[in-house]
Amino acid sequence: MRGLPAAVLAALAVLALVFVRGLNDYWIHVAIIAMFYGILTSSWSLLAGYAGLFSLGHMAFASIGAYTSALLIQWYHIPIPLGMVAGIALCCLLGAWIGWVCLRMSGPYLAIFTLAFSEIVRITFSTEDEVTAGMAGLHTVTLFSTQASRLPFFYLAFALLAGSLALIGLIVHSRWGLFLRAIREDEQAAAASGVAVARFRILAFAVASGFAALAGTFYAHYIGILTPSLGSLDLMAVVVVMTVIGGMERIPTAVGGAFAVEFLQEYLRAYGEWRLVIFGLILLLTMRFARNGLITPLWLQLVRFGEPRRVSAGAPTAPREAGQEGSGG
Amino acid sequence: MDYFLIQSTNGAVIGIIYALIAAGVTLIFSILKIVNFAHGDLYMLGGYTSYYVNSLLGVPPLGALVLSMVTVFAVGIIIERLLLTPLYSDRTERKDEYGIIVTFGLAFFLRNAALNVFGPFALKPPSFLTGLQRFGALVVTNDRIFAGVTGLVLIFGLLYFMKGTIWGQALDAVSQSRDSAAIVGINARRFNSLAYGVGAALAAAAGALIAPIFSLSPDMGVLPNIQSYVIVILGGMGSVSGSIIAGILLGEAQALFTAFMPDPTRALSYSNAFGVFVLMVVLMVRPTGIFGRRHVRME
Repeated sequence: MRGLPAAVLAALAVLALVFVRGLNDYWIHVAIIAMFYGILTSSWSLLAGYAGLFSLGHMAFASIGAYTSALLIQWYHIPIPLGMVAGIALCCLLGAWIGWVCLRMSGPYLAIFTLAFSEIVRITFSTEDEVTAGMAGLHTVTLFSTQASRLPFFYLAFALLAGSLALIGLIVHSRWGLFLRAIREDEQAAAASGVAVARFRILAFAVASGFAALAGTFYAHYIGILTPSLGSLDLMAVVVVMTVIGGMERIPTAVGGAFAVEFLQEYLRAYGEWRLVIFGLILLLTMRFARNGLITPLWLQLVRFGEPRRVSAGAPTAPREAGQEGSGG
Repeated sequence: MDYFLIQSTNGAVIGIIYALIAAGVTLIFSILKIVNFAHGDLYMLGGYTSYYVNSLLGVPPLGALVLSMVTVFAVGIIIERLLLTPLYSDRTERKDEYGIIVTFGLAFFLRNAALNVFGPFALKPPSFLTGLQRFGALVVTNDRIFAGVTGLVLIFGLLYFMKGTIWGQALDAVSQSRDSAAIVGINARRFNSLAYGVGAALAAAAGALIAPIFSLSPDMGVLPNIQSYVIVILGGMGSVSGSIIAGILLGEAQALFTAFMPDPTRALSYSNAFGVFVLMVVLMVRPTGIFGRRHVRME
């Protein structure tokens, strides 16, 4: 891993963990929700930014995972972590199945297919209200007592986000990450060079769906009430907005997008519902004029700062060019 | 039996409206090679424009329909000029990715803007023609007849435009090969704008026609948008006549599904899921659609 960014991130993390004790409950809640979105954007970025699979069904997996966990706990009174694991496992399987079904579909067909899948899931959850309580909301058991402080939730969300980022980072920096990028750039060329395209497309779907389910189950057992709108298209759009504004081709920038949008959303509370219009506009402008995302240049700057020693040791411009090439890709 | 007749008449009207939306999606797809995820929101915009032209300017409903088509045609061209031009540039990488995110983002933007400008409450515009018609046991409101007939007129107008006029022929040429069309002197850039504008205007007409039957709300476009994909996939990407047949079939199937499911509340919500389910199955079995034309595929 690159030296400085990792060190800076670790320092920021420690700072956040210390600083959070001084915050009030409201901002801790905002931070927890930002981390929930961070898991979603990083896993969607793995799917859309790395593998080029434009799934609009990411939130459907989050809601399937959440309902699975909540209902299993309601029916069989199993411990909460076990329910969460069950939800995640189910979504990995389901994600692999969807990935397998979509093997022959490219670009927009895949987007339409996953959009259809997500609508069916949402309609089913809101119609079968004898089981899921429909739009009235299913009451779920919370992980910790909500009467006291929200700090335990904060630390758990932090651990989950850090764990997810570590795992996703491990994937994208390994050969698997290269394979996924190769598939995105040119599927046939990748297949010709010996990448098992089918296997890696399925794998990307399974892994990303598992992380979506992780975020969904955490949300269910944090908020304490679960409605089918967790899997709605509007929330999917929010995840897309966050990922694209941050920069969908890198995991750290995708997470940065989630944090930036979530905090801006609270900061601009006075503007009410106009905030979403503003974010939509920012998304369109980003796509039109800065397709790599708004946080990507900052991140590349940070990465470049981490490499001065190598610059002074030998080739003065080589790392800089490498960084720019990465941004173009 | 009477119930069957009423339901199938309603289904045919809804089917024609769906076909009108889907014809626009298919037109945009065959020229610009993108799936317009914001099409349902142009439909919503058409409905609201017609409502406000009617209630604020006092234009009669039919005039409001025409004005809303013209307005949304202009909006469509502005959207195409501002946002979609990178699709024609060789320097843009992964154009289908760009198309998906931009139109999906546009849908999000338009829907939330409508929520703020028009408000979340449902609005009901006045009828085009008040009253109803009786044919024996069959009772149909004039609005539905008007919507069905106008929809058919617009669809046949589009078919005539595509097959019988030089502009339509030029559009077809651009859809088959952009480069060859340029060689014979067709300005492809202009026809990109035209295709998006006409598609948007058709969606606006559908929205204005449906408004007196159902009602207007900012998220009214979400489900018809998905239904139009069902139709486009069934009818084949790029085939206008295929989408008309598929549109009416889908309208009928949904109406009869709702009518003859034993549990009425479930039938109503699952009738939307029904079409979507058909879409998933068709995509799995034959990803280019049933009546698809081979040359109109994603690159």
